[in-house]
Amino acid sequence: MVGLITDPTRRQNVNTAKEETNREDMNTAEMHACCDTPKSAPPILTVQNLSIYYGQHPAVKNVTMNIPPQCVTAIIGPSGCGKSTLLRSMNRMNDFIPGVRVEGSIQFNNKNIFSSKTDPVALRRSIGMVFQKPNPFPKSIYKNVAWGAAINGYKGDMNHLVETSLKQAAIWDEVKDKLHQSALALSGGQQQRLCIARAIALQPGILLMDEPCSALDPIATARIEDLIDELKSRYTVILVTHNMQQAARTSDFTAFMYMGELIELDDTNILFTKPSNQRTQDYITGRFG
Amino acid sequence: MTTHFVHLLDDITRKSLAMASLVEDIVEESCEAVLNADEGLARRVIERDNEVDEEEVEVETEVIRLMALYQPVGSDLRLLCTILKVNNDLERIADCAVNIAERACHVDVAALTEAKGDLEKMSPLTRAMLRKAVQAYGARDADIARQVRSQDDSVDAMYGHIVRNIVDNAAKSPEKMADFLDLLSIAKNLERAADHATNIAEDVIYLCTGKIVRHGHRA
Repeated sequence: MVGLITDPTRRQNVNTAKEETNREDMNTAEMHACCDTPKSAPPILTVQNLSIYYGQHPAVKNVTMNIPPQCVTAIIGPSGCGKSTLLRSMNRMNDFIPGVRVEGSIQFNNKNIFSSKTDPVALRRSIGMVFQKPNPFPKSIYKNVAWGAAINGYKGDMNHLVETSLKQAAIWDEVKDKLHQSALALSGGQQQRLCIARAIALQPGILLMDEPCSALDPIATARIEDLIDELKSRYTVILVTHNMQQAARTSDFTAFMYMGELIELDDTNILFTKPSNQRTQDYITGRFG
Repeated sequence: MTTHFVHLLDDITRKSLAMASLVEDIVEESCEAVLNADEGLARRVIERDNEVDEEEVEVETEVIRLMALYQPVGSDLRLLCTILKVNNDLERIADCAVNIAERACHVDVAALTEAKGDLEKMSPLTRAMLRKAVQAYGARDADIARQVRSQDDSVDAMYGHIVRNIVDNAAKSPEKMADFLDLLSIAKNLERAADHATNIAEDVIYLCTGKIVRHGHRA
């Protein structure tokens, strides 16, 4: 855990002392530099002193960070730095990994998601996830989107929900005439947007994206990036990516992780032009990693 | 790729500094040409401007190529942006030197006794500012760059003094009006060259600190 951030109005610090200053600034009516969220808006997700162990190995070390609502927050860092582990912990996907142990907390809706009272299935409805490789169900396009809502007892107009979700995922125009064809017949980029439609059909507050474009070609990647920009008006997006240009293009805030630690979290424009930490500087300029 | 890119950054930095050195020489020669009424030296300055123009295009082309191919961020991005901006200022300074040299071809400053004294004071100020700006650029030293900014007022004051003298003396000796106009042009170009040196210094501060200090923005 390292806190080297000097400007509390723009930078989140993982240092407790600096958090006091941050809170003062949260009282102002200013807007975040890059997204339309008032600074007074409380964070939608609060990670506090989070450590995650695989057996004895600490994959995430004492991370503290706030995720602002309706913004895109990117997490970057070299392979094995703990960024995917951190992301997966945000909707308890790590529960499926044997030997994993979590310390600290993640507050969502004023509740610790690791509490025994938290229902992980309900949590994953509120915090959806899109994976690296598109993974549509071997069903029709329509059923892919409707499935989650149906098994959760959705009582509204299912056709409307499917159409809205596909429109929000910017794929409606391409699939509206073949809704009952297999989702597996779609291209990789279309499948990924379908998976995003499937996730947002459950109307989550947060979308976690784990390298959502790494298996896609540049055109499909550009579509997803445009989509991410549109999605942030309704959802909070947390994006793990190896592609620094993608983080720079799509995110409002960027967190840099290294060897399990959160090194720096800042306004993306600042982090990619004048980072405050030398390790961030070295990583983004390709000096290591 | 990274090591390769670092080498390419070093190469373009060296090229830009070599151009800066060339521009310094040209400014110095143009001042000497005026003060010593050396028409041959003045013509040499005018010819050497082509070298500067060619180098300007080469540096700009390479910076654009590096930006397109490597999409730099952080200090690398600041460096390439700075090189591009300094490149432009250096070329403009060389143009100022050429303008001074062109005046040197047909004005006899020695005949304007008081004016020669003023130019002898002003030209070292401008050259010193340029020298320091290039030094700050080469060493990436924001402190030296800040010194350059503070010196610009002296050059501006000297320029104001020369203009006032020209106004007074031109009224007394209207037959020398053409010489006075040449003198005014020389002083104006020295003042502009100092302004471009200040721009370079401000770009160095941005390179070192990431902060934009132009137009009243605080360092």
